[in-house]
Amino acid sequence: MPHATLPTPNLQALILCGPGISLNTFTSNPSDLPKALLPVANRPMVWYPLNWLYRTGITDITLITPPESAGPLESALATNPALTALKVRPEVLAPRHLLQTTGTGELLRLPEVQACVRGDFVVVPCDFVCEVEGTRVLQQWMTLNPLSSSTSMGQKKRKGGMAIFYPTHGLEGISTKKDESDFLATVPIAKPAVPAPAGSLREGVEEVVLNMPTDTLNDKVEEGKGFLRLRQSLMERHGRVKMRMKHRDAGVYFFPFWVKAFAARNEKFDSISEDLLGWWAKAGWQEGLGEKLGLREVLEGEAKGEEMESPEAEDEIDVTQLSSTKVSWPSSSQQPAPPFASRVGPLAPPSHSPLTIPPLLAYIQPAAESSIPLIRRVDTTPQLLTISLHLAKTQPPSLAHDSKIHPSATLEQQARVSQEDCLVGENVKLGFRSNVKESVIGANCEIGRNVRLTRCLLMEGCVVGDGVVMSGCVVGRRARVEGMKGAATEFATRAGEKKGKAPADDNEDERTKLTDCEVAPNYVVEAGTEAKGEKLMGFDTEGGEDLGMEGEDEDAED
Amino acid sequence: MSAPLPAQEQAKAEEQKVSPAELKKRAKAEKQARRAAQKGGQEQDGDVGASATAPNGVNGDSSTTKHDSGATQQQHAQKPKGEKQQKGQQQQKQGRQGAQEVESHHKRTGSQSQPLPIRRRPSQSGAPPVVQQPAPKKINKQVELFSHLYTQPRRQSIEGVSKDIHPAVLALGFQMSSYEICGSSARCVAMLLAFKEAIQAYTTPAGTSLARHLTSHYLSPQIDFLKSCRPISESMGNAIRWLKKLIVEIDPDTSEQDAKDDLCERIDTFIRERITVTDQAIATSACQQIKNGSVVLTYAKSSIVERTILEAHTNATKFRVIVVDSRPLFEGKSLATSLMHAGLEVEYLPYAAISHAVKQATLVLLGAHSMLSNGRLQSRVGTASVAMQAANSDIPVIVCCESVKFSGKVALDSIVLNEVAPAEELLLPSKFASAKPAKEDTSEDAEAKPKSLGDWKDIANLQILNLMYDVTPAEYIRMVILPVVHRLANEGM
Repeated sequence: MPHATLPTPNLQALILCGPGISLNTFTSNPSDLPKALLPVANRPMVWYPLNWLYRTGITDITLITPPESAGPLESALATNPALTALKVRPEVLAPRHLLQTTGTGELLRLPEVQACVRGDFVVVPCDFVCEVEGTRVLQQWMTLNPLSSSTSMGQKKRKGGMAIFYPTHGLEGISTKKDESDFLATVPIAKPAVPAPAGSLREGVEEVVLNMPTDTLNDKVEEGKGFLRLRQSLMERHGRVKMRMKHRDAGVYFFPFWVKAFAARNEKFDSISEDLLGWWAKAGWQEGLGEKLGLREVLEGEAKGEEMESPEAEDEIDVTQLSSTKVSWPSSSQQPAPPFASRVGPLAPPSHSPLTIPPLLAYIQPAAESSIPLIRRVDTTPQLLTISLHLAKTQPPSLAHDSKIHPSATLEQQARVSQEDCLVGENVKLGFRSNVKESVIGANCEIGRNVRLTRCLLMEGCVVGDGVVMSGCVVGRRARVEGMKGAATEFATRAGEKKGKAPADDNEDERTKLTDCEVAPNYVVEAGTEAKGEKLMGFDTEGGEDLGMEGEDEDAED
Repeated sequence: MSAPLPAQEQAKAEEQKVSPAELKKRAKAEKQARRAAQKGGQEQDGDVGASATAPNGVNGDSSTTKHDSGATQQQHAQKPKGEKQQKGQQQQKQGRQGAQEVESHHKRTGSQSQPLPIRRRPSQSGAPPVVQQPAPKKINKQVELFSHLYTQPRRQSIEGVSKDIHPAVLALGFQMSSYEICGSSARCVAMLLAFKEAIQAYTTPAGTSLARHLTSHYLSPQIDFLKSCRPISESMGNAIRWLKKLIVEIDPDTSEQDAKDDLCERIDTFIRERITVTDQAIATSACQQIKNGSVVLTYAKSSIVERTILEAHTNATKFRVIVVDSRPLFEGKSLATSLMHAGLEVEYLPYAAISHAVKQATLVLLGAHSMLSNGRLQSRVGTASVAMQAANSDIPVIVCCESVKFSGKVALDSIVLNEVAPAEELLLPSKFASAKPAKEDTSEDAEAKPKSLGDWKDIANLQILNLMYDVTPAEYIRMVILPVVHRLANEGM
């Protein structure tokens, strides 16, 4: 393996295995199947960040999860073939007070997490699917860090952070209208001395000055009666602010060590993305905000604390001053030239040297018409479906499967699977004349005769009865979609009138037809169901379904 | 599928069959051919027109076409480029046989008869080796005169980096290759700081001692990595030599941690003494050369020149600065900007305006990449012309140089010692790069299509040379300001 010999970037990784609120059809029982184990293209979701990190050369990985999900996660790490094939052995950390609803910012403050972070770290969500090599992002982070900054030597200059943003719109087959997006304002960073070499991500790296989810933006706009109010100081500091509405935070952050203390100090940080990044970005230009957030203590205090050595400390050499491609600013001890006479200038000159906030950079993947490497978060069911299908179709080299149709799968006569855009897992049985297009079928599924599947995602162990037609559906683990009579009679434990109906299912019109549905794990979809755009799960939907399908049934219950 | 493919396949099959003895023979023939090709290539280089107007015009496969009849030539012309390259490689591998293979294949397409195996042997030994020449010729984009300076292409990605490289050194490497850290002193200091971290992270393996192991097994890979990012500067070389000597001299009785701490402390001292304090001393002495009403001319950016100017400005000397700058790094821009921030009057001129700049100037201040033993100055390319112009106009040229940049080498010209930077840096960032249609067939309408400099790799006889330094003769330099410190025993050797 070529990447087995990568130099270690001295980073540790935290993979946040959250609850998956938008995937609640499948993750309603987190102690059984946490979100991190939902299959994306027949691999557990957490495989993708693990693989990505491994290919980046990061092997010190901790999975952080609420206690109730720790069990299944650990057992999956030990047994799942895709996860065991990875050469990383991540640790699972389940902080006691971590609930499914805990915000990511609060998570960083938990004592267990605080104890676990030992150096610069990278935070990755468990639903992160990425075709862009992490090394390339990492390289930019390393290159653009303030020169000769380091954590260990108590340098005055601190490393900055790096986030990844991806375009949500304009990707054929993947983008949907409902895609969540963030509001992001950036300013360009200094151009490189020479054009960056081909293949470098440098073009896409900018400095973040504002960052908030679209919801917050909408609130603010409402507050401002239709206007987004920005501070003057932003315009004073930065001339060219670019604002983006169609990008989303990938949730991947390269953080220097001091962020740990920064997160710990600020009790009000609820999420990393909105609060920690947002305030950090603002502190870069907003006068005095850094002090309020305790950044001075975080950035300078530590250095003072850990070594009280050489009197030349303040005399320390700054490579930026020497580098011939950098503009050196008058050093802080020297009083800068008096500013223009101004009536609204800062009233009291700051008592001590101005605080320099390390830059918060972001790699913003440019949106292009043509196909760009995929960066996505899989946190909604449509995303789950489209990403799985996309991966099944394109099979990017870093995420490719060994075989699209697993050798252990059995296809009966005249069963047709379109090779180029399907994935079929282990021990799948495909019945006579079944037809599968653009679908992903998980391990141990049984597909009956005459089944037609188009753009479907079947998780492990699903049973699809004869003659079922499904398109655009996501079927949860071990769910059963009953088909025509064979299956119907087999599981007929229902009222008499239903049994009487069963033979009628032979009719073409009475086939089970599901379009754009989500079927919850272990749920049984009755024969003859026709549904479109529904969530078939648990109690409530069942009732609703009965209501729709069989009026007399309801009457009887009443 | 075009006709030549079966021939390739056959050639492959042939290759599998050959005996070791035959392989040996082939390798020999190949070597001979390469030698002859080199000779031929050099001859052609001397005569510039020759290869451009080569009779067959096809730059790739003239080896085969020379022997083939028109029909095969046609086939070759139709082949897409990729295939051609593949073909070229195969030919290189197989030596003479490849050409022979195609020839026999051509026979077959004509008459559908089997190739005659007997014919191969005599032709293999008696073939004129000239036919090998075009394949390497096509990709030679290196300027022959400077061929000794080309190293492996500069590393731009993390791929293939040894895993022993310390993260600080890794980051430094990328910062150097992207010119985030540029300039002799800056690179030297940054390297030493990174080594400090690397040394602290080092543990001596059992069964060996720090003094024996650290340099050869730990620091050397780090240095090699830095070299692969960008060739190291004279100052870095001096610092490395100093550090290696220091490590060797470590008393084996000292404990590992003590030794490491001691090394780090010595590095700190080195940086302070040889760079920080030295710079201060040089600046203090050099700024006396700047008088009221002076017009200081400088070229590109040198940290020490910047410091000198700022020092003079702090001393309330009234003077003006002209910064001359040139592509591709435009370091003068940063200098002009920081001087402007300091409140100086700065004039920024392009390189073409040297003579204009020299007319006004009363003093030329230059920084150094390295000071050679014969008193010549190696500095950013373009410095020599500035110095020459100034010397011709009797303007004093003053060089500021730390002793760590002194070199034991001697060079009379800019050819022997230099650094070749990637040629792409000289290209303008083209907006049309993406709009450019993908070229499949360069051989057909190479002459017809208008080409931009961006296509330089496809244009025969066009080479781009991007040198980093030049050498200024000692007679142009009026004065060198350097600190009077004792030189370390091993320095500048």
